[in-house]
Amino acid sequence: MNEQERRQYLEEYHQAKEKGPSFYPEVVVKDAIVALLVFLALVALAYILGAPLEERANPADTSYTPRPEWYFLFLFQLLKYFPGRLEVIGVFVIPTLMIALLLFLPFIDRSAKRHALSRPIITGGTALVVVAVGLLSVQAVRETPPPADTTLGDPTATLYVSNCAGCHGPSISVPPSTNLHAVIAQGKHEGMPAWSADLTSDEIDALAGFIVSPDGSRLFTENCGECHQASELVASDPLELRAALQKGADYAPHAGLPIPQWTEALSAEERTALLNFLVAPDGQRLFAVNCAACHGRSVSFSGDESTLRQIIQQGGLHLEMPPWRERLTSDELDTLANYVVDPSSAPEGQELFSRFCTECHGDRVPVVADPAQARQVIASGGGHETMPVWGDILTPEQLDALVSYTLEASRGAPLELGQDLFAQNCSTCHGDFGEGGPNPSRTDDIIAPISSAEFLKTRDDATLRAIVSQGQPNFGMSPFGTAHGGPLSDEEIDALVAFIRSWEEKPPVEFPPEIASRPLSIEGPDIYAEVCAQCHGDRGQGLIGPSLSGPGFQSANTDDEIFNTINVGHAATAMIGWGEILSADQIHQLVSYIRQLGGGQTGPGPGEVSFKDDVLPILEAKCGVCHGSLGGWDAASYQSVMESGDNGPVVIAGDGGGSLLGQKLLGTQTIGGLMPPGGELPPSEVQTILDWIAAGAPDN
Amino acid sequence: MAARVSEWLDERLGWRKVWEAIFLRKVPKTNWYYTLGSAALFLAVNQIVTGILLTIYYVPTPDHAYDSVQFITGQVPAGWLIRGLHHWGASAMVILVGLHMLRVIVHGSYKYPREVTWFTGVFLLLAVIGFGFTGYLLPWDQKAFWATIVGTRIAAVTPLIGDWILRVMRGGDELSAVTLARFFGVHVWVLPAALLSLILVHLYLVIRIGISALPKRGE
Repeated sequence: MNEQERRQYLEEYHQAKEKGPSFYPEVVVKDAIVALLVFLALVALAYILGAPLEERANPADTSYTPRPEWYFLFLFQLLKYFPGRLEVIGVFVIPTLMIALLLFLPFIDRSAKRHALSRPIITGGTALVVVAVGLLSVQAVRETPPPADTTLGDPTATLYVSNCAGCHGPSISVPPSTNLHAVIAQGKHEGMPAWSADLTSDEIDALAGFIVSPDGSRLFTENCGECHQASELVASDPLELRAALQKGADYAPHAGLPIPQWTEALSAEERTALLNFLVAPDGQRLFAVNCAACHGRSVSFSGDESTLRQIIQQGGLHLEMPPWRERLTSDELDTLANYVVDPSSAPEGQELFSRFCTECHGDRVPVVADPAQARQVIASGGGHETMPVWGDILTPEQLDALVSYTLEASRGAPLELGQDLFAQNCSTCHGDFGEGGPNPSRTDDIIAPISSAEFLKTRDDATLRAIVSQGQPNFGMSPFGTAHGGPLSDEEIDALVAFIRSWEEKPPVEFPPEIASRPLSIEGPDIYAEVCAQCHGDRGQGLIGPSLSGPGFQSANTDDEIFNTINVGHAATAMIGWGEILSADQIHQLVSYIRQLGGGQTGPGPGEVSFKDDVLPILEAKCGVCHGSLGGWDAASYQSVMESGDNGPVVIAGDGGGSLLGQKLLGTQTIGGLMPPGGELPPSEVQTILDWIAAGAPDN
Repeated sequence: MAARVSEWLDERLGWRKVWEAIFLRKVPKTNWYYTLGSAALFLAVNQIVTGILLTIYYVPTPDHAYDSVQFITGQVPAGWLIRGLHHWGASAMVILVGLHMLRVIVHGSYKYPREVTWFTGVFLLLAVIGFGFTGYLLPWDQKAFWATIVGTRIAAVTPLIGDWILRVMRGGDELSAVTLARFFGVHVWVLPAALLSLILVHLYLVIRIGISALPKRGE
């Protein structure tokens, strides 16, 4: 374009402008109309299609097929034609070239010609690029189909992706008998949170199903999702589920619905996957849903796995009922028969049922139509209860899980193991029976009993596990779980918790509730037998509670002290204050009876203290934890007590106050602190040891 | 009254001159294709307004981005509309900017004396593409995440400085919270600033030089 052409253009443009309209309002109106149309189109798109949002970003899901936004598709497609080292051409060379061409277009096309047809190269080139971009975009769409829209589809998969996939990746493989529900709810392994706070129980069930059977989850969404939500069907009765699948449209609740014959629509494998999803092979839950109605919490079973599998698989007659006519009156039999047929017709039958039948039948009343028939069955007994043929109902995976769970449950948690672990790890602070005591790591602090019904009722197993595993740093309890640096594995903690839990059924320290309501004898021996003997032994020899007859106790306490202890109890132990239950007279009677048990001593004074019976047990219980395996003074035997120690000997026969042992117990030693480090021993125990030293520290 | 107010204001602002310069100018006869540019401008305003509204609830962290977008879509009154307008407005913007550019090419409007207008137009196109790329990650859904993984990886193929570009874009070797923060920052601060400046220059030039006339056959 030369100078003349420019001037000519400006001239012509000026004329065109003069002949044209004013920008406002003519052009502005046109612009406004188009802008309004564009806006309306956007609103319509927003209303009809909404703004799409897929699942939450999941960096672990590498199976996702990424697709860029549509206006980058042509570039995306272009790259496919430049594989490997040529990639740089598609990525860099071509786009850079295009942008440069575009930018410098005014310098490339310098002619004065402006009409499209007068500039065939530019017009043709532009058309070529537009067509190419269009074709590439179309091709890209055809080659990479849009990913399945899972937000609308499978809510369980979404749940999985948003909660589990981050750590576990696209799938988790678990051994068949894993109790997935418990693992998810409580967060079993390290680093896994307890999901019970964030997810509902049904969601956890659905997740367990998804983990075991992702295919089942997909099938559920495709076939059942239109009417059912996974969370409403998970953990339901497998009998019903199987019936629904087998009967198809004939299944009563599905009557009249356009439902296919599932046996034809789905293959056998697909039906199994579906069932596995809905009732995840989680033994505990299968047992609870299918077996607990008749078997309660667990069955006692001593055979091996294959026998159990056979019994469950085959079902059938397996219960022997006694002939009740030998034990019940005719009237009672009638009542029971009527109750079984229609519970509301014979309410008094309920009591009979719960007395005689629930032990085997649980809360489930057997279904019988005819009272005469029911009476006949009850009266004559025999094998009468048919267990479903579970082999036909459960999938193989479910059967596996059920068998292994039942086997495990029938064996029960090894209480002995838990007891040993408790004795090794816990009893130093919590006492042999969980009765608590002075807190060794915090002076003036008392560890409350953990064996009381109140403590156990208000803490579930998960809480107990957490306490044991993580410790209670605020209260001086160190963590015991390996996950937190402690010595106990998860299995050991489970055993420990099972042992602690067993106190609930068999309390180690029992306070008979009827005592308060019953007038007690005024006689010392009777009261003692009633309220003291079960802990202190019928002769005061000591059981759960300390010995009352031994010289250690008898000599360390005055009558008033014994009275006070009985009256107000020991805050740290299970010994309650009996003052509210017993009168002063009764306590006085008790005190004198306890003195009789001790052989008639009347107050403090050096008595015969036995090293073996009185001193060594204290040393073993209170000192042996450290003084033994850890070197230094060894409290394990008479010889080691007398001779070992870095600053030994620690016992100077006849001089309790001068002995290092005595000084340590009394806190009179100026180097180092009081022993045990957690706090003074009870005065009676200190006195026992001092008495023994005063008596010449004999090996008796 | 209105006349007195406008008089009072004009004395102080001189708005009539501005009004005359922008609106009361003569323009050559045009057709409907000439509205594409102003429609794109309207969309830019739409994106700015809806974008500002979105930032009220949007949280640019991996923990909360997805939830906040879900919240905007599902809970906030008319949130679906705001987000829908912004989402579809982005696509419409690309289309209209593209069509506007084609119109300019077909009419040869990039020629003398409108070369600089054209340059700013090309940069505006690049800014719009940048908006699309950075905005795509913000909802932090599967599509966003993986498309950005692929997009940044593509950029890394650039010779010599590819790895450096990748690390600058991602804020590290992996796509992370840093990536989201910087895409957000670019999307709501850097690019809008660039876009507004370019639009100002573009419009100034359009008004100063005037829109091109329809070329005659053989011209």
